[in-house]
Amino acid sequence: MAFLRSPHAHARIGRVDLASARAMPGVVTCVTAADLRDTVRPLRAASRMTGYHATDLLPLAADKVRYQGEPVVAVVAESRYVAEDAVDAIAVEWSPLPPVPDARAAMAAESPLVHEEFGTNVILTRAFRHGDVDPALAGAALVVRERFRFRRHAALPIENRAALAAWNADGLTLWSSTQVPGMVRDALAESLAVPGHRIRVVAPDVGGGFGLKSSVYAEEIAVAALARRVGRPVKWIGDRREDLLASTQAWDEEIDATLALDGHGTIRGLRASVLADVGAYSIVPWTASIEVIQVISFLPGPYRVPAYLGEGAGVATNKAPMGPYRGVGRPVATFVMESLLDRAARRLGLDPREIRRRNFITEFPWRSPSGIVWDSGSFAETLDEAARLADWDGVRAAQSLRGDATRRLGVGVASYVELTGIGSAIPASPGADIATGTEGATVRVDPTGTVTASFGLACHGQGHETTLAQVVADTLGARLDDVRVVHGDTSAGPIGTGTYASRSAVLGGGAAILASRSVREKALAIAAHQLEADARDIELQESAAWVRGAPDRRVSLREIARSAYLGARRLPKGLEPGLEATRYYDPFFGTASSATHIAVVEVDLALGAVTVLRHVVVEDCGRVINPRIVEGQTIGGVAQGIGGALLEELVYDDQAQLATGSLMDYLPPTAWEIPPIVVRHLDRPSPSTIGGFKGVGEGGTIGAPAAIANAVSDALGSLGVEIAELPVTPDRIFRLLASRAPRTG
Amino acid sequence: MKPAKFEYHAPGSVDEAIALLGRYEGDAKVLAGGQSLVPLLNFRLSRPAALIDLNRIPSLAYIRADDGVVRFGAMTRQRTIEFSDVVRQRLPLLSEATRLVGHLPIRTRGTIGGSIAHADPSAEYPAILAALDGEVVVKGPKGERTVKARELFQTYLTTSLESDEVLTEVRLPAIDAGAGTAFEEFSRRHGDFAIIGIAAVIAGDGASCSMARLATAGAGPIPVRLRAAEEILERDGLGDAPIAAAAARAAELVDPDSDIHASSAYRKHLTGVLTERAVRRAMAKRGR
Repeated sequence: MAFLRSPHAHARIGRVDLASARAMPGVVTCVTAADLRDTVRPLRAASRMTGYHATDLLPLAADKVRYQGEPVVAVVAESRYVAEDAVDAIAVEWSPLPPVPDARAAMAAESPLVHEEFGTNVILTRAFRHGDVDPALAGAALVVRERFRFRRHAALPIENRAALAAWNADGLTLWSSTQVPGMVRDALAESLAVPGHRIRVVAPDVGGGFGLKSSVYAEEIAVAALARRVGRPVKWIGDRREDLLASTQAWDEEIDATLALDGHGTIRGLRASVLADVGAYSIVPWTASIEVIQVISFLPGPYRVPAYLGEGAGVATNKAPMGPYRGVGRPVATFVMESLLDRAARRLGLDPREIRRRNFITEFPWRSPSGIVWDSGSFAETLDEAARLADWDGVRAAQSLRGDATRRLGVGVASYVELTGIGSAIPASPGADIATGTEGATVRVDPTGTVTASFGLACHGQGHETTLAQVVADTLGARLDDVRVVHGDTSAGPIGTGTYASRSAVLGGGAAILASRSVREKALAIAAHQLEADARDIELQESAAWVRGAPDRRVSLREIARSAYLGARRLPKGLEPGLEATRYYDPFFGTASSATHIAVVEVDLALGAVTVLRHVVVEDCGRVINPRIVEGQTIGGVAQGIGGALLEELVYDDQAQLATGSLMDYLPPTAWEIPPIVVRHLDRPSPSTIGGFKGVGEGGTIGAPAAIANAVSDALGSLGVEIAELPVTPDRIFRLLASRAPRTG
Repeated sequence: MKPAKFEYHAPGSVDEAIALLGRYEGDAKVLAGGQSLVPLLNFRLSRPAALIDLNRIPSLAYIRADDGVVRFGAMTRQRTIEFSDVVRQRLPLLSEATRLVGHLPIRTRGTIGGSIAHADPSAEYPAILAALDGEVVVKGPKGERTVKARELFQTYLTTSLESDEVLTEVRLPAIDAGAGTAFEEFSRRHGDFAIIGIAAVIAGDGASCSMARLATAGAGPIPVRLRAAEEILERDGLGDAPIAAAAARAAELVDPDSDIHASSAYRKHLTGVLTERAVRRAMAKRGR
């Protein structure tokens, strides 16, 4: 399948002539929104936010298009080549409308409206208030103000999105490159009016997601609807152009922030107003608020902020929709807060490390100004260890040796705390109708003694096959090699939504522990019965049980399992047959991961070029299940953060046309641009989650941009240049240096 | 990203290729390494009726040095040039610049003739052809002719080749053994096209400059030979002041366009910065 996608950012769709496309050999069908109107219902992301406007998610645009790349016609053909030829042969009568190219323009009174029926382009607002911020600002010894800008970013998983739908008498199977098969199943049931138990969604080996694949997409609905219509399986493999044009995008926020401090550098108050360009639609199921609300929610960071006002507005424009991306809100929040602290430290003549130490939260649990409960945090410890590993003092010494050379050194720090393993107390948005706070696990020992652990999670590169197997093996007392993890298939495991928001180790791991404990308990009872001992005296490890102190009196897990299914004659009286358990886990508030990043950079003043020389991460992700997995997650996250800090930017022109539509122009870092990254773990079990796990999937991307921005500001500090806009490209540094007070460098 | 339908021909000789080009009357494209053309096809930005593939013409791949000229068959791979001893000795500038062309897989397929015929002004080889005043041999139905760098490049991705002509050879004058060379390039990432690249050849003893050659990549619709900057060095020598003056002149000589990666002003600035760096590095390599 291929789509005719809108070449315009904003246009009315007139007559669509499908005749020549339909006549091409190999073309099965071509459909427009009108052809699907009776069989596909629109989906909407619900929320009780004030002033929130939901938008329809339909497989194809009806009446008008609202971003370049929006699907308008679906073509099913016998090959993608033929399908693209047919797309070329379709004639659409467009009536272009003036586009809304960015959030500022969208706010203007005379701006065209992306959705006329709302009467405004502002589709959501929200605020968090704590204490009284105005007097705090008015009476402060030091007030630092800045307008920050974090440009639009692409998540860019290696595997583009793809979906394959096949119907048979039992219903629909959809294979999709998604992070959230459970959410997609629920959405398809509603959209296609098919009972949920007739829909199976499979997310096979998925090549990365980073949040981009955690929403429900038009293309998934389209393949399912078209496969039903033509009575044959239908496949869509998105290409990179489609990925850059029509997958959810990230960030694109302007933040006016003011930090008030006393003369010792103690924070008195923080005020921030965030203007978010959320693109053309409010995505399902997260809504368009997902990024901007998390910015204002997490802005106070790991610091005591006695007075806070954070206001956010999501503004519709004619761009691809904004969605969750690794770190959601926190990379931007951390960039802003950490930049403000460094500005304050410079004004006060304080060491950047010292101003942080003076403000870190040290008592837990701590209720943040936005109402989040931090159960724990290793802020000062990660800072001190990171500074040691990064050789902070050595960099300072080298800086004074270099003096005003063309190549300047800079060192930058960023500390953050991140809400992970979010439970049901914190919904994705007020009134959101999605179960992000719970997850299940089924652990089953079969009669051959091997263990299958099934989850509603959907691993897409995190290594759950390893880590969750470790958790089950350790808890149950089974050999690691005997545990198989099944995930990413709605028909194979317990109910669940998927993998996102650094939740899988906490929620999946917690559910796995609960289920494994239930199974272990039963296995011990059976073993005790067979070994004629008390269950409390039985050891169960590595798939064998024995009587403590009498290792010869033993029985294997295989024998225990066989007995469990053979029934009454082999089981203790009254014990139900079978050896499996399904348990669900809700961590309620969730837990807190924290880290400090330190970047050391070199800035070539003449070129405006930044080179990251080294990057250090010291993190507390709770109990570490597998250090190699944590390290891989962190390094990958830092690489994406470096991309966001220095290279990657989705550029739309003033007609809202994407100027970075291929990897010739959208520039993720390559191995050459990634410096040595040092990662150290502090193993500080969470006090509030089963297993003590905290999430770690996103942290690398949260800390890196802020640390690099601060390092560049440090390198340019003596020139009076401070970074307020990311990515900090060579051209931007050139302009910053050119615009400062004249003194050639 | 699938190409529109095209015919495919793999001729065994240049004459056959020329005949095929004539048959399509301007609606065919020559396929060399394909590193630029194939993406254009896949984006359907280029929709030729046919591709004439030169990869089956073995006689088009060679490196020969004689009479002070190094001649490259058009289908000589960049990877071959990168490791050629002849090139390292006679054209160290080309050796250095080749390492900046894309990435290993790109250089393994990419050819010198393809890069020059594609005429991307941000690419390294067109800049070198301009700096060294090289020429190309083109063959068409009316026979063979040679075209100098300054007559070859017309604007972005456009050369003076006729639609039924094939670029068969690239000729670069060997660089005097005593001269120093440098290719300074700034790109957003390793292997990307240059934001600005400067090819420099400097000859002369001490602070005197008997010959300077400077040309740009990325500073406009075609590679720019910076003759007025060269003249400053040849006249005033290689002291700090003339080098600074030459760099400033270089920045004045170019009129680059703005794009999403770099503004015109930044590119002009870089032209000056990189000219100075290239001259200084080339000076330091003299006489080796």
